[in-house]
Amino acid sequence: MADEPALPEKRPARVRRRPSPRIDQFRRTWYFFRRNTLAMVGLGILVFFVCLFVVSFFYPASSTELTTYQATNGSAPSPTALYPEVCTYQSGEVPPAPNCYLTPDGMPSVIGPTDTFHPAGLGPLPFGSLTLNPPGQIFYDTFDGLVKGAQWSMTISVGVVASGAFIGIMLGVVAGYYGGIVDEVIMRVTDIFLSIPGLLLVIITLAVFAPSITSLWTRVGLVIAAFVVVWWPTYARIVRSQVLVVREARYVEAAKASGAKGGRILRKHILPNSIYPVFVQMSLDVGTVPLLIAAIVFIGFQVFPKLNFPEWGTITAFSVQGAVLASFITACQSASALGGGCTFPWWQFFFPGLTLFLFAISVSFFADGLRDALDPRLRR
Amino acid sequence: MRLWIYVVRRILLVIPVVIGVMTITFALVSALPVEQRLVSYLGPTPRLSYNPTVPCSKLVQGENGTCPNPVYVNGVNRLGLNKPIPVQWAIYIGNSFTGNWGYVGNKTGVTQSIPIAAGQPVIKVLGWFLPYTLELAALSLLLILIIALPIGNLSAVNRNRPIDQAARVLSFSGYALPAFLLGSVLLMVFVLLLGGSSGLSPFCKGQSSYTDLYGSWPPVQCWPGGVYPSWLTAGQISSPTGFPTIDAALHGNWWFAADTLIRMIIPAFVIAYGTVALLLRFVRNSMLEVLNLDFVRTARAKGLPEKAVVKKHAGRNSLNVTITVLGLTFAGFIGGFPIIESVFNLSGVGRMIAYSVTLTPYDFGMIFGSTILFTLLVVAANIIVDVLYAFLDPRVRLG
Repeated sequence: MADEPALPEKRPARVRRRPSPRIDQFRRTWYFFRRNTLAMVGLGILVFFVCLFVVSFFYPASSTELTTYQATNGSAPSPTALYPEVCTYQSGEVPPAPNCYLTPDGMPSVIGPTDTFHPAGLGPLPFGSLTLNPPGQIFYDTFDGLVKGAQWSMTISVGVVASGAFIGIMLGVVAGYYGGIVDEVIMRVTDIFLSIPGLLLVIITLAVFAPSITSLWTRVGLVIAAFVVVWWPTYARIVRSQVLVVREARYVEAAKASGAKGGRILRKHILPNSIYPVFVQMSLDVGTVPLLIAAIVFIGFQVFPKLNFPEWGTITAFSVQGAVLASFITACQSASALGGGCTFPWWQFFFPGLTLFLFAISVSFFADGLRDALDPRLRR
Repeated sequence: MRLWIYVVRRILLVIPVVIGVMTITFALVSALPVEQRLVSYLGPTPRLSYNPTVPCSKLVQGENGTCPNPVYVNGVNRLGLNKPIPVQWAIYIGNSFTGNWGYVGNKTGVTQSIPIAAGQPVIKVLGWFLPYTLELAALSLLLILIIALPIGNLSAVNRNRPIDQAARVLSFSGYALPAFLLGSVLLMVFVLLLGGSSGLSPFCKGQSSYTDLYGSWPPVQCWPGGVYPSWLTAGQISSPTGFPTIDAALHGNWWFAADTLIRMIIPAFVIAYGTVALLLRFVRNSMLEVLNLDFVRTARAKGLPEKAVVKKHAGRNSLNVTITVLGLTFAGFIGGFPIIESVFNLSGVGRMIAYSVTLTPYDFGMIFGSTILFTLLVVAANIIVDVLYAFLDPRVRLG
């Protein structure tokens, strides 16, 4: 303990000092964590994402708005008038004629701007391909979006989880330690919050406040706040159940007996010893936030003011919205009826979806390993 | 304690929770502009708007030729918006309990998709769509139990063997895979598998297989007369029981019932897949606990076959935990309905939420109404779970 009165050093100098118990516990946890293959795989992917987060700040693309490409109807020869040629090119560039890809009139089109692309093949290397945006036929680069999206998605998730955990831990510790009427009130409030489906609570909070907020940073803050409203009760519950166990421990009794005040006991004894399960839940939840944002964008709610906003959930949701897939199906069916080739643009949603999936599954592997390592009963 | 006393007590205990939920929605509603609240809670007016002032002739005394709008003043009085907050709260709670959940707006995402809903009370419109959601929920619940129980038990019996690891990966992937992505991919895969022509409906030759799986029931042009049957008037409202498949079966339209049910299977599977991920771990752990108990050892010792021990002795006793966890995950599982119903274009309550936030004048009556409805469903599910639990394990109600 750091605040122990300075006693004269009685140990002989030869004996190596044991590290403080918390460092010791950390080493033990790491020892058990290391033996868990899945957890190490999760940690590896997570390290990759953290590197991506750092790299994204140096990646040359706008971090609030991706470069959009225009779809234009060229005058290149086409089998029928039904099939105007649609090409994408960056503004100011010459349209790359060999890469044009036929789609029916009025249908959104997907073009991989690489030379190896062939309509009848399986598609180009997806890193160059464009994600399509249903309402205005705007395209943007999936790869740029996924790299730049790392900042936004991870910032928002960590912001949500950190602030939610902070509020939850405070309330949970207070409820668990003081008990009685305080506990009763806080826990009934968490009951109420937990009985509203989380996604709906986020949606109604966003729906009420979003229309009056146009600035990007305020909007991001609002998204974080809306998620925090949903998230804190879980943490409060977890911490409270831990505190109920810890407060009966001998060392708390000892601290009380030596005259420590409530605040100090909470800070120095109860909080550090009941916080580990929160870490597990926190690492699980970091992966859930982008998934939920994606779901909200998917049902048609415009979470971010720009359609080409680089955020993983937004990109994924746009690439699979019902209208998009339906129009691809129609395009493919009419193209094959006319004897043309048709490529289903699987890379459009495969890579954004893979990013979300890998992020969520890596944190869940990590959390699961952490839980196993922290809980002696689950260790193998 | 008798079971029915327990049930009544459980229901009474839920009322404060419901009031608390309504208080949260009240807090959010209070943050809305007054005009918006009037539109959502008094219904859209046909001619006059809810602007605070209207232009009037110079003869009437007023500043700049404007007078206070009588519709606005009347509305403010009716909703009690000029009264202190606690009174407003009491009025709101009273309205919510008596089913006065506001009105669908005139030009919102909801009315764009369902024109006849314009200006209707929210609770009535929700009533049209609730049966479908309940059917979908029942089917998903069935699938969840069918998937989670055997796999959970298997992975407990084969602890830390490959099958357990596989179940673990399955459960993680279900958690990490966004439901809308899985749903869309499955929809695409099945559409491509079924090919260009309709394989299901005998009246619908030449339709795309996409229409076979997209939407809650067969499209209008697939009907012999070109219209929906009378018990599914206007595409939404179904009469005798309200449940589309049951209605169809009652009317002897077996094909319609089968088609409606088949359209639910993929969505229900997607919902189940996401929920199983949460459930599997609990099933496994409770089974592991039960397997270590004395009576299981006794059963094994007296020479019962392992199958009987696992199925009859351990399986039934580990069911308690499973049911409790199922109740706890119900909030998450029903919260996913807006997404799934959007992916497959199903006419349920969740779709209404999606409709009401797609266009910019959001349909706040619908958003808050459906939130309250979903919360009531969650609360009801929790009561059912608790009662079931008390029924299965008498110690709960006696204790």
